[in-house]
Amino acid sequence: MRDYIFLYINGREHKVSGEQAFVPVTDYLRYELGLCGTKVVCAEGDCGACTVMIGRLENGTMVYKPINSCIQYLCQLDCSHLVTVEGLKQNGKLNPVQEAMVECHGAQCGYCTPGFVVAMCSMFDEGKPLTACQIKDGLTGNLCRCTGYEPIVAAGLAVDFAEWEPISKLYPAENMLKQFKEYLQKPLHIKSEGKELFVPVTVNEACKFKSEHPQTVLITGGTDIAVNMNKRGLVPEVLLSTSNLPGLSAIDSREENGRTVLEVGGRVTLKQLEDYISKLNEEMKYILWVFGSPQIRHAGTLAGNIANASPIADTPPFLFMMDAEIEVSGVNGSRKIKMTDFYTGYKKLALQPDEMITKIHMPLPLKDEIVRLYKVSRRQHLDISAFTAAIRLKVDQGKIKTAAVAYGGVAAVILRMTAVEEFLIGKEFSLETCREAGKLARSEISPLSDVRGSRDFRLALAENIFSKFYHETAERQLVCQ
Amino acid sequence: MSIVGKNIPHDSAKGHVTGESIYIDDIPVMKNELHVDYVGSPYAHGKLKSIDLSAAQAIPGVVALYTHKDLHHNRLGPIIQDEPLLVEDEAMFVGQPIVVIAAETRAALAKAKKAVKIEMEELVPTLTINEARERKEFLDREYAVRRGQVETQFAAAKHTLEGTLVVGGADHFYLESQACLAVPGELDQLVLHSSTQAPSEVQHTAAHMLGLMQSQVVCITKRMGGGFGGKESQATHAGVMAALVAHKTKRPARVIYIKDDDMKYTGKRHPFQNDYKVAFDDNGVITALRINYFADGGAYNDLSIAVLGRAITHSDNAYFIENAELVGRICRTNLPPNTAFRGFGGPQGVITIENIMEEIATYLHKDSFDVRRANVYGLDDRNTTPYGQLVQNNNLPKLFDELLVTSDWKKRQQEVREFNSKSKTHVKGLSITGIKFGISFTNTMLNQANALVNVYVDGTVQVSTGATEMGQGVNTNIKMLVADELGIDPDWVIVMPTSTEKNNNTSATAASSATDLNGSAAVNACVKIRSNLADIASRYFASREAGIGAYPDGIKFENGLVFDERRPDNKMSFKDIVGMAYRARLSLGERGHYATRGIEFDWTAGKGSPFLYFTMGCAVTEVTIDRFTGDLKVDGVDVLMDVGKPINTGITRGQLTGAFIQGLGWMTNEELKYTDKGHLLNYSPTTYKIPNIQDMPARFNVNWIDSYNTPNVRGTKAVGEPPLVLAISAFTAVKNALSYVSGNEIPCISTPCTNEAILARLCYYESLNSGSAPAVNGRGGSRDAAVVTGGNGDSDAPAVTGGDGEKAAANVTGNGGDTNAAAIVKGLDGNQGTAAEQKGAVRVDYFNAAGMPVPAVKHGALRPLSESVARAYSGAKLRTGGPTAAGAGGKKS
Ligand SMILES: Cc1cc2nc3c(=O)[nH]c(=O)nc-3n(C[C@H](O)[C@H](O)[C@H](O)COP(=O)(O)OP(=O)(O)OC[C@H]3O[C@@H](n4cnc5c(N)ncnc54)[C@H](O)[C@@H]3O)c2cc1C
Ligand code: FES
Ligand code: FES
Repeated sequence: MRDYIFLYINGREHKVSGEQAFVPVTDYLRYELGLCGTKVVCAEGDCGACTVMIGRLENGTMVYKPINSCIQYLCQLDCSHLVTVEGLKQNGKLNPVQEAMVECHGAQCGYCTPGFVVAMCSMFDEGKPLTACQIKDGLTGNLCRCTGYEPIVAAGLAVDFAEWEPISKLYPAENMLKQFKEYLQKPLHIKSEGKELFVPVTVNEACKFKSEHPQTVLITGGTDIAVNMNKRGLVPEVLLSTSNLPGLSAIDSREENGRTVLEVGGRVTLKQLEDYISKLNEEMKYILWVFGSPQIRHAGTLAGNIANASPIADTPPFLFMMDAEIEVSGVNGSRKIKMTDFYTGYKKLALQPDEMITKIHMPLPLKDEIVRLYKVSRRQHLDISAFTAAIRLKVDQGKIKTAAVAYGGVAAVILRMTAVEEFLIGKEFSLETCREAGKLARSEISPLSDVRGSRDFRLALAENIFSKFYHETAERQLVCQ
Repeated sequence: MSIVGKNIPHDSAKGHVTGESIYIDDIPVMKNELHVDYVGSPYAHGKLKSIDLSAAQAIPGVVALYTHKDLHHNRLGPIIQDEPLLVEDEAMFVGQPIVVIAAETRAALAKAKKAVKIEMEELVPTLTINEARERKEFLDREYAVRRGQVETQFAAAKHTLEGTLVVGGADHFYLESQACLAVPGELDQLVLHSSTQAPSEVQHTAAHMLGLMQSQVVCITKRMGGGFGGKESQATHAGVMAALVAHKTKRPARVIYIKDDDMKYTGKRHPFQNDYKVAFDDNGVITALRINYFADGGAYNDLSIAVLGRAITHSDNAYFIENAELVGRICRTNLPPNTAFRGFGGPQGVITIENIMEEIATYLHKDSFDVRRANVYGLDDRNTTPYGQLVQNNNLPKLFDELLVTSDWKKRQQEVREFNSKSKTHVKGLSITGIKFGISFTNTMLNQANALVNVYVDGTVQVSTGATEMGQGVNTNIKMLVADELGIDPDWVIVMPTSTEKNNNTSATAASSATDLNGSAAVNACVKIRSNLADIASRYFASREAGIGAYPDGIKFENGLVFDERRPDNKMSFKDIVGMAYRARLSLGERGHYATRGIEFDWTAGKGSPFLYFTMGCAVTEVTIDRFTGDLKVDGVDVLMDVGKPINTGITRGQLTGAFIQGLGWMTNEELKYTDKGHLLNYSPTTYKIPNIQDMPARFNVNWIDSYNTPNVRGTKAVGEPPLVLAISAFTAVKNALSYVSGNEIPCISTPCTNEAILARLCYYESLNSGSAPAVNGRGGSRDAAVVTGGNGDSDAPAVTGGDGEKAAANVTGNGGDTNAAAIVKGLDGNQGTAAEQKGAVRVDYFNAAGMPVPAVKHGALRPLSESVARAYSGAKLRTGGPTAAGAGGKKS
């Protein structure tokens, strides 16, 4: 079996084996290859200084995405092409994004700049101008302490596309893809100094390996796992990277009882989901827009967000509220678990050791359902929630017919607020009812204080969110934004 | 055409965008190089009992372990040397270094950090300004500026208002953490590559602590990945540790703080708690002002004295205060010594008076613009500061009046009123604040600089000064000044890395004055070179036929050419003149020195003229608050400044936008949360939230006026710090918004105005209006478990769980092992038990961000802080203020 990771960096072939397979990409770039343009500030995905582009085989072509290299480990990079800031010049000259950044004073101290430049090159890869809003959306994952961002946005608006060369032109993919296709046929297995990495190419292989190695840690996008490895002393003995599993990267949909149900594959990234859902559901679109950053959404997956089992994760409230189902596969085939039954305790999943998530069945709200999703965090973008809520009502002739309410950030797991739901059903849809529901919700929970918010803050939010919901849905005209 | 006043790119921009720019951690690893780190105190206050290094020593790859005994001297500090670099017997803050470790690999270093055994006795820490005041724990003496008769004015006043303003600190969050690479040379010489704003400080401190002569140590700074004041005095720690290892082992040694450690263990912007009392007339004109400043200095002096001094001298800000008593003290707490941070105490002074202005306006039901405008320094009278300096070239009235128009103040104020009367979900606020920022170091001695300009025979030029480049563009400014002086293309001029070898005894790059001082010194060096060149050129151009003799004063340097102005068509290239000068054996390298004239200050009298000039400006900010979540959005910002004549318009603009947004972070989201054991909880960008690109205001107008007569090089004004202070307008806008819902109370809020703090205030005002218990307990404010001075003082005393229990040593070793969501406070405020608790539901320990289990008691509860309050008196009677009755949308009672 292959015992090395095969990848390209700035158009050059690399084979990485042994201990090196278990280091963060940034260490490899900076300390092994001397490619020090990629900076490390936080080492946990929150600043973007380490942004690089990763190209992978998708539907026959090479598709590049910006990601945080500090929270990617080499073991995730088999059969990919990494492009760093050093690999962006065109014919030895600054490319148009770099030119614009120079001209517009987009760099002051320069420490954030490589990350911004890579993120910008990635979002401009199609060679088309973007609006200021789009530019900001593309750069949410990059912090700059010097410029106040204004010059960077100005640079984004000033890019001259006449001379633009997309990455695919800088690095012809043909040869790489040929090799990748061949390598992707067979699993890869590395053992080194008490650590083990398995990269299977079928779900069966994966489940079998898991059943034989119950201590296996699955790594998909790595945006949770890698942070734990960098910062919280997690040292997995056995890692299984899902990066080469085919067939888990698609989103399909079906109709069921008049409702659209999305079928989201186990490796579908949050970015894919965002693009797909943006036309179907405004609320979920918003939640994904404020979820992490483009880099995080390009790497992180819906399955990872669910399996990480954080009570302040942003997608589960919606899944709880919509009665989603999780499809898992094991050595004996697959089964479906209700989202509401998926967490059996704090950080405990209803998964057998051999099982993994392969699909998420995600029903969408009906047209006549009133749905709002809330995320309260200190900063709107690139911040973890202090409190989340998902509320779905069906109102008929002024009366509440059905109600589904889920809260996050108020307990060890995400909660379906059943008492509140029961209270709501049959009541008149009024401010008074919503106020009462808020009070009831408040009395149902016992949140704790942490660095993201005090108990009092969370209690107040739990109560207030219902009044907000009422004003925003029943009195839309009075909501001034 | 002069290059000065143009917009050319930053001199490092091309390197930045390609990733080629080199920072300390990017310098290729040297042969034999050692990785250096340290183990620090686990306690905010503790007695060192014993250190056991044996286990660490035995780890393969570990080369050296040092304690204070290995240093020649063990005290450092930029003003007073009171801080031991390595703990001797008493640790004064969490993470204070105890043992320095050098190892051949990162892995060995990490192991060694865990293997160092330190036994300590935990002592009671002082963690808040209140505790320090109670325990009389102060650093240095009281500082004061006094003018006129404050008490008599208070007694006679129609209106007085008093209160306390609590101002939070902030982390610098420079992206490149503290770092130094030390390379040993022959005969005990050392070269230090340091990420510092003060290479001379690093050089002098390293020499002193290692027992070397200053001449044996060279400190080089190519650039910093941000500084903002955080590397003015505190780059010395990493610098000396690297130097110590290099000196003792004779091997290159590199210290790179990881971000988490940098945030946990280095000093911050000083939090302040300011008690004030102000008297004013019906128009809001201030007749007397008293402020008692209490700065949280942290454990040692560092730069606190100067920071407090600048707060005091900026109490007046843009406003004439006839009778003033401005007094301050530095509280000693068991936190890392707080240090310089862009604005250097100035912002903490300014926010106090701007807070007062807002409160006066609310109380008098007046337009806050009018109240401020009535107090602005006059042109011919009412134009001396409380410390006696005449405010010359006063552009403040002009700035305020112009911004009133360009920001559409009146119309927008009306719109805000209307919005607030309609919206059920949001409330808006609008405010204006000013800035008059004194330029010069308040310590007169520091206002000097030297520069070295070398011209090579091909006509190209190298400049070296004491200024350090941290992104602010000082090198580009200096390059332009030199190019302009010599009349050459700026591309021919390269500004070299700052090195104490070329420029000695330099002041830190600070106080916004690096371009002023070093640029002037470089100009002075150029003047000398030009004089040498003019001399030889004049002889060359002298012509009997044309009837002109050799007249050096008539020689011009323009566009890379040199000519005699009397015969301008006969030109010679700069390069050729340089060649000529070389052959004539004239000096082509000169040093210039510059010292600012006419400034002095006497702190014993609290009088003087410490500033060469003032940078001025004002800003209008509009905010929107979500009434249900407290979420704050800064919608619009209009900045108008007097920055003299910018040298580089692009760089000036970048300083304005960058400083403003940085200030906005300080005012809104950047909250430092400590446990009651003195551990910082939010020590990484996961939980410490600086402004994101999406936090840019949708309306962001940044402009400056034409300005003349600045007594500074090329009429330019320093611009690094002042715009940061204008972000205080966001804070006063929040206060303005709250005034629409605060009923009869003067709205109060501490900084930063987080959504949590705002929601607490909203709930409190709501409870006043409805008569019901507030949704959030207490008066709110920005703190958990707030203790209210003079208010309902009972705080919850939460039990606490938090951190990764198994990583209990993480703070000792500083190896970043513990969680970001860190301390988890269990709300045990019994009076607030919810139904779920009454039902006896089992309490679960909380989660953390990335979902690691969060067991074990490690940290204490959150450190309780005071909160801001205000009370107004009309005559002798207590009367609270409120929003104007007319048009105010908020509920009135
Ligand atoms: C900077 C930053 C910002 C973030 N912002 C947000 C935010 O705004 N909102 C939010 O909710 N989260 C946020 N996160 C958390 C994280 O990005 C998400 O939880 C993400 O969805 C995780 O997906 P992943 O594929 O990266 O998971 P991984 O890290 O690969 O895995 C996470 C967990 O799921 C398990 N796992 C992975 N795949 C499977 C599978 N197929 N079957 C079973 N188990 C599996 C892993 O073993 C691991 O326990 C943020 C993280 C970072 C670093
Ligand atoms: S270093 Fe901060 S995101 Fe990677
Ligand atoms: S330029 Fe310094 S952090 Fe962006």
